[in-house]
Amino acid sequence: MIDSAEMVKKVFTQKSGRVETNKGDEYYNELFDSAKERLSSLRAQEPLKDIDLMDVIDSEGVNRRDFMKWVSATTATLMLPPMFAPLVAEATELMNRVPVIWIELQDCAGNSEALLRSAAPTVDDLLFDVLSLEFHEALQAAAGHDADRQLEEAVHHFKGDYLLFVEGAIPMANEGRYGTIGASGETFHDHLQRMAKDSAAVVAVGTCATFGGVPAAAPNPTGAVGVMDLVKGKPIINIPACPANPANMVGVVLHYVLTGQVPELDSLLRPKFAFGYRIHDNCERRAHFDAGEFVEEWGDIGAENNWCLYKVGCKGPMTFNNCSIVRYNEGTNWPVGVGRGCIGCSEPDFWDKYAYERPMANANIKAPTGGVEKTVDEFGLGLLTATTVGIGVHAIGSAIAGKKSDEGEE
Amino acid sequence: MKTVEIVERIEGEAKLNCSWDNNVISDARIDFLNFRGFEFILEGKAPLDALVYTPRICGICGQAHLKATVDALENIYENINEKLEVTPKAKLLREIGLNIEIIDSHIKWFYMFILPDIIKLKQNDLGIYQPLKGSRWLGASKTASETIKSLAILGGQWPHTSYMIPGGVVTDPTLLDLSSMMNYIDTAVMFFEKSVAGVSFDKYLDFDSRDDLNILSGDMKYFTNLAFENSFQKIGTSHNRFIALGESSLFKTGKIRQRAINKLDLSKVREFTEQTFTIEDRANPKKHTWSKAVCYDNNFYETGPLARAMIGNKPFIKELHKSFKDSVFTRVMARMDELAHLLDNTKSLIKQVDISEESYIKPKINLKDIDSAKATSVVEACRGSLYHDIEIEKGKIKKYDVITPTVWNLGPSHKEQKGIAQKAIIGSKSLDIAKIVLRSFDVCSVCTTH
Ligand code: SF4
Ligand code: SF4
Repeated sequence: MIDSAEMVKKVFTQKSGRVETNKGDEYYNELFDSAKERLSSLRAQEPLKDIDLMDVIDSEGVNRRDFMKWVSATTATLMLPPMFAPLVAEATELMNRVPVIWIELQDCAGNSEALLRSAAPTVDDLLFDVLSLEFHEALQAAAGHDADRQLEEAVHHFKGDYLLFVEGAIPMANEGRYGTIGASGETFHDHLQRMAKDSAAVVAVGTCATFGGVPAAAPNPTGAVGVMDLVKGKPIINIPACPANPANMVGVVLHYVLTGQVPELDSLLRPKFAFGYRIHDNCERRAHFDAGEFVEEWGDIGAENNWCLYKVGCKGPMTFNNCSIVRYNEGTNWPVGVGRGCIGCSEPDFWDKYAYERPMANANIKAPTGGVEKTVDEFGLGLLTATTVGIGVHAIGSAIAGKKSDEGEE
Repeated sequence: MKTVEIVERIEGEAKLNCSWDNNVISDARIDFLNFRGFEFILEGKAPLDALVYTPRICGICGQAHLKATVDALENIYENINEKLEVTPKAKLLREIGLNIEIIDSHIKWFYMFILPDIIKLKQNDLGIYQPLKGSRWLGASKTASETIKSLAILGGQWPHTSYMIPGGVVTDPTLLDLSSMMNYIDTAVMFFEKSVAGVSFDKYLDFDSRDDLNILSGDMKYFTNLAFENSFQKIGTSHNRFIALGESSLFKTGKIRQRAINKLDLSKVREFTEQTFTIEDRANPKKHTWSKAVCYDNNFYETGPLARAMIGNKPFIKELHKSFKDSVFTRVMARMDELAHLLDNTKSLIKQVDISEESYIKPKINLKDIDSAKATSVVEACRGSLYHDIEIEKGKIKKYDVITPTVWNLGPSHKEQKGIAQKAIIGSKSLDIAKIVLRSFDVCSVCTTH
């Protein structure tokens, strides 16, 4: 028993070594210089929108200190040392040099909604005033044929330069008949390929666009797939989760502005700055996990005391994402915060594998092979074994603990 | 002459096909061409999994789907004579959550969808209402974001919140949480007073006559002026029949055809598919949309805020309806009026929460052990009545049927009858007008087809 307990402890408490949070001075100094160069060359470019961020900040009465707070938080999110903060601030200002085109396919608009509720001093200003959102169906005034025209113009005008954000999956069954766009009835697949062709990079937002998401859940009636299954020959950045965290959308754009490159990705093409560690690594209930204190069922004493949700199905230990740090709705809360547990929504096939009622140990989880980093693979496997054992260990552990205290009282 | 207009800036897109006669639209067809197949996906899943799936039908009204699912699952218990005990606290927290979602949606709809389109009829420069730039647009977006934080406090995140489970809610807010929620709601109340209605909240809530239109001074007044300039008080009338399936502390169930009837027989709700594509076949020329049509007792009924105001006897809107029928004007006013009543109602619900009560009481039987049972649930969502119908066999979902509010309002025709929006559009003199008539129903294409 002790061996297993030790093993569980090791697996769950080891520092996650997948993300290099400190890559050494040399690396950062070099990055710093190249970012500086990149920013000054961007500054020399014509802005796409004639808006000065600092003016916006002043005119809207946003406290500069709040802005700087946001900048340092974002710098940390991007896993850059504090010396990058001034550059991140500058990059925010220069976001208007990078055109963004956002298309919606087989989606629920959840990511657009999340973006609208993004975190910043007043992100309305930061994002919408500064980010050059050249096309977004829901967030612009043009509609119908006007919108079609606007999209074509943007693609033409920013050929080779724009970041293409894609929300929603692509239905491939039945010749793509489950989703068409515009008056011509172009299929989502053709539309995606045409939009991707002239982009600088494609950013798939949300689990639908990344891994097919809910539409791809068994039996996948429409043959839904994600962007990376279809688009070839372009850099692709996946920002999964349902909804994707707006902080990560902003992070990807900022990183691109800052470096001109896509951020370091794992082999599921997720930026490591956001998906390099597990929910579980930074969970506020983690101390209870380590102490073996679990919510056994909702509404019990454990629930009242915010104990760990593992036994009521939390998938945090298997889920790579930063929501335990960034949270949702401007940092207001996150699922574990209200006692629901993580459903693993940034993982491929989470619908069918991780669904709600199965505690993780009984869930139909396969090791994340085929794509994920080797370290993650090994880790995942170790974790899985440990998990199954772990539940047993903890269950026995709690039973013994219970018994002991019972005896003690007698 | 035929024209096709695509209507975007809604969740997904709709295609509007119009036939013209003497420069007036003589026939209209609305196509929804995006389909995901939720009902197929839910088949064979564990019943509790529906709590994760159905909210993802829509990023705007997921809370309503969550509540519909939880209610349907609880009704399953009731139908096998194992009625669950759900505390008043849990019930309140569910209703509060749903209210907040509707508040958020109404604010966004007015400022992001309907108002800019109406202003554009007159001028190109949208000024303070300019998307992404105008101060009022940003103010509205900010208010919506602040309001929805009060839902995040309960549900952990928005969109796609899941804190409701059969037997109660998992969330257990503290007094501090409740007062933060109250503060967020107050932000919206202030925005309503200052920008939306331009009169004090209490005064607005007392509105009960057509003359009160003259007291308005904010954006509702601006809208009213624009609406009258464009005769929107005469445009967009449909069957003038209303239905509300769900009930809450604010909404009443019932229908109005000639007269109001408060008792509904849900077995009279039926879906039709003469015009609807099937999963195997999209080549049939008679079929043009993924949306089904839904009727009550073989008739089309409009659902949504106007229907709720009529059935719930909201004096101001009933007065407007007397003069202006089910027009674009009345429909828009009903939605904004509902915003005020929802804010008021939500504040009083938050005050009623007794934190010492339990949030959750565990059901004695696991849904997985239920051999066979059926249940239905109805909920009032942002856009109108939402209906879920579930069948469980051997602990798995055998059948799950969802009828969304937009199916009531935007579905295709059935036999000789025109659908609600379809009928409202016929008679429009331009495509821009037709589009606004369509928008007055608060279009959401992902909901319509799911
Ligand atoms: S990933 Fe989730 S939030 Fe995003 S579009 Fe898909 S279902 Fe909606
Ligand atoms: S609640 Fe979930 S993420 Fe947090 S410690 Fe427990 S298992 Fe890990």
